[in-house]
Amino acid sequence: MARSPPAGEPHQVPLVPDLFTTAPPIKDSLVTTTSIAQNSVEDDCKAFLAGTQENIPVNAHGVPSLSRERHIRFLEKNLGNLPPAFRVADASRPWIFYWCLNGLALLGADVSRYREDLVETARSIQNESGGFGGGFGQQSHLATTYAMVLALAIVGGESAYQVIDRRAMWKWLCTLKEPDGGFRLTLGGEIDLPLDLPPDSPSYTPQRPDLFSGLADHVRRCQTFEGGISARPGAEAHGAYAFCALGCLAILDAPHRIFPRYLSMPRLISWLSSRQYAPEGGLSGRTNKLVDGCYSHWVGGCWPLIEAAIHGPAIMTSIESPSFHADDLYSREGLIRYILCCGQDQTKRGGMRDKPYKPSDAYHTCYVLNGLSSAQHISRILSSDGDGIMGSWTYEILPHLDEAQVYNEEDRAGILKGVDPPPAAYQAIHVNAPSQYKHTRSVRAVLQPLTELDSERDLTDRSHVGA
Amino acid sequence: MPAKNKGGNSKAKEPEQARQPPEQPQTVREFEWQRYWSTNPIHKIVEEQGFPSLSPADKRTYLNLELARSPGEVEKLSKKGQRELWKQLSEANVPLRSAPRPRGNQWGHDKDGRDIGDYTLEEYAVYEQKKSRLSELRLQSDFFKRNRERAHCKTKNVITGETYTINEADIKAEKERRKEMGTLQSELYGKKPNPYAENPEWDDVVPIPQDEPEGALAAIAYAEDYAEAMAYLRAVIAVKEHTPRCLQLTEHIIDMNPAHYTVWLYRFDIVKALGIPIADELEWLNEVSLEHLKNYQIWHHRQLLMDLYYPTLQSDEGAVKALALDEHSFLTDILDKDTKNYHVWSYRQYLVRKLGLWDSDDEINSIELMISHDVRNNSAWSHRFFLVFGNPAQSTPNSHATEHDPKVPADIIDREISYAQDKIGLAPQNQSPWNYLRGVLVKGGRPLGAVREFAETFVLHLGEGEEKEEVRSSHALDLLADIYKEAGEKEKADLSLRRLGEKWDRIREGYWAYRRRMLEVKED
Repeated sequence: MARSPPAGEPHQVPLVPDLFTTAPPIKDSLVTTTSIAQNSVEDDCKAFLAGTQENIPVNAHGVPSLSRERHIRFLEKNLGNLPPAFRVADASRPWIFYWCLNGLALLGADVSRYREDLVETARSIQNESGGFGGGFGQQSHLATTYAMVLALAIVGGESAYQVIDRRAMWKWLCTLKEPDGGFRLTLGGEIDLPLDLPPDSPSYTPQRPDLFSGLADHVRRCQTFEGGISARPGAEAHGAYAFCALGCLAILDAPHRIFPRYLSMPRLISWLSSRQYAPEGGLSGRTNKLVDGCYSHWVGGCWPLIEAAIHGPAIMTSIESPSFHADDLYSREGLIRYILCCGQDQTKRGGMRDKPYKPSDAYHTCYVLNGLSSAQHISRILSSDGDGIMGSWTYEILPHLDEAQVYNEEDRAGILKGVDPPPAAYQAIHVNAPSQYKHTRSVRAVLQPLTELDSERDLTDRSHVGA
Repeated sequence: MPAKNKGGNSKAKEPEQARQPPEQPQTVREFEWQRYWSTNPIHKIVEEQGFPSLSPADKRTYLNLELARSPGEVEKLSKKGQRELWKQLSEANVPLRSAPRPRGNQWGHDKDGRDIGDYTLEEYAVYEQKKSRLSELRLQSDFFKRNRERAHCKTKNVITGETYTINEADIKAEKERRKEMGTLQSELYGKKPNPYAENPEWDDVVPIPQDEPEGALAAIAYAEDYAEAMAYLRAVIAVKEHTPRCLQLTEHIIDMNPAHYTVWLYRFDIVKALGIPIADELEWLNEVSLEHLKNYQIWHHRQLLMDLYYPTLQSDEGAVKALALDEHSFLTDILDKDTKNYHVWSYRQYLVRKLGLWDSDDEINSIELMISHDVRNNSAWSHRFFLVFGNPAQSTPNSHATEHDPKVPADIIDREISYAQDKIGLAPQNQSPWNYLRGVLVKGGRPLGAVREFAETFVLHLGEGEEKEEVRSSHALDLLADIYKEAGEKEKADLSLRRLGEKWDRIREGYWAYRRRMLEVKED
């Protein structure tokens, strides 16, 4: 069980394993740009991981507590009025909504008070032709639409679901479909790995092409020789695309069925595992790149999906939270240490960050917290009935209990509660989805079947794409 | 209006100072007060010393004045009374009408927050002059707009019978006028210039300002110039206007916010519609790219341009070569500044596919050069893999990156194996060439065991005790575990994985344990 002395109690020598305070056992002598940057980050991190930084109180394990209040204030500030310098974020405001609201929810703050303002803001940037742009008067974009839908799902409530013009969005999504199975991000825009997509297509039958046709094959073509996944076939394996790709497959079917069908699992797992470094403990996005707090989500968020794929559905018998320590594929302790020691801005400013000495921002605060939540919980598939996108399955999320829990119990980040399904939504909405799943499952909850949509017209809409 | 005080005839006994010629006023405020007091000499005494200090005559004059200045009061007197009042006032020889009494805030503040009442008279004169100049210009500008409207409707001048026209000189004059107006507004009111509102070429566009609900989340306080440009952008996008002025507008906005994808897409439409020479657009784009290294939209725009451009010179081998050379040198510059930029590398792959640069010496050589500069640059390794195994002349189209491709010639596999091995020799703990090596073996359909001896050179005396055991590369050990498994040497494989978890790569202990469990399972 957790050994958590009160935060701030002075400890002469915190118990930090040498893994996190000493250089890795093998170091090449050859100096290149990459090794210089790597060594410098290792040094910076070691200083924070040792638990001996001045003015940062740590527990007996050398780990500082999660500065909940300061991070909440930081995120609330980011949702307020922003100074003119934020004009560079003018085309990505829905992302700010999602980052802040998701972060606040994980920190246990009440986000429902933002509901009405969010709904009105969403209304002002939704386009009649479907989807959401980055702001008022901006063209609809798949990424900002995704972020907007997530943000609405997080605040929840009927008004949040109703603001989305689902019929228009559906049509718009159809126009983005590319013949190779991928999607453009926006009309006139680039082909890219699909982000998570609405899974519920009334026009779907296995025989007829639709939004999902060729999608899994496209993802498969994006797996690289390293085992990771890239933005497009032939590019370099990258953590953010790995998450998007696995998320996409996990919507199409349960991970234990679909991952091995489309991906080389041993290479994928090997590559994902290589993303964790010592002494930093944190995760990187590509081979020979530096650790960055945001990969706690992009790469860290892949692990629950991988574990679900490896273990398959579990028969739930016990209500107690088992320790899965023996089965962990990555070092939860390492990641948690990196997040709490290196990932927090310890000044009055608050917020979380890429790495020591980098400024905090809403993006990193959100994804670092996602990573923390994921490292502090276990998830497994409880049941799975039927194959394919029309099938339904349920995940169970429980606190991960560890004999060697290094963080204080009160610093366990939240998990996203299941979104209240609107009437007529699919029945199989998760129990307590974690941050990772919310991306896929809550989208599912929000998008009801568009039964009124004429499926013939769907096909007509899509036929524009190939031209 | 100078004080109309002839003075001198009053019999009233007055304090000296009240009658002294006032000092030269220093500020507008002083000037106005002097003017006021000069039209109210008796009131000044009352305010400074109180009513009782007045002489009886002044008391009478004071009361008479109050009466005379109150609207409607004089008429209430009898005719005789009125005559007497005016007579007495005339004898008192005081100004009947008062200059307005200055109010503390009547001048307002200027753009720097300074009270205009504190201006010197000279400063004030300049200020007033500017204001009147601005009104004059506004009037002229209104004339211009009216005449342009008339010219547009081909209205005839009723006097001369000529049709109204607007010529280049008129437009030039109006531009100058607006510029001057902008400067004056900025000097007078600190109003930032609104280049679009002030440009007659944009007069026909009704800007669409940002319309956000009250309480909008993460609302950005846009600077005036950005907000104005965006308002004009929305207006021209709405009507799909594709003209040179819009091209300039996009340039202006991109300069302020290069992440604005809508502007970029719109710009591309304009480039297409106007038939802007792609070379010109690329030249402009190169500058923007160097300024904003991390921006994605730039590279997408470049790709769209290539899609447009390439078919026009596809048949001209020389032109394609020249383009490839230009692009190559630009990419080299950019990657020199940011060696692992994902967008740039993605674009580079697009370009190789588009222009068929698979066998280009420039391409291969520059990648080798980059790897020799930093053998840990995984992006460069990744690009090399793409060049070698994506080349349609020597590979199967759409062959999956993690599967055997029988079409790749054996000598190429051999060449790549030895290339990776050479690079591993430089820094054995560098994972990039190890991943590459494994990728090459898979592509070639070779057993991992083909590099067993090579890998074993980095691992000595495994499991023979802390003192003796020597591992120069955890990646070699990782590969050896699979090599031993492949060869059915399960114990050695297990030992390799155990030592990785115990010592050589402890942070991945859970993964190595998983691999050990997987030794029992047939490879999938």
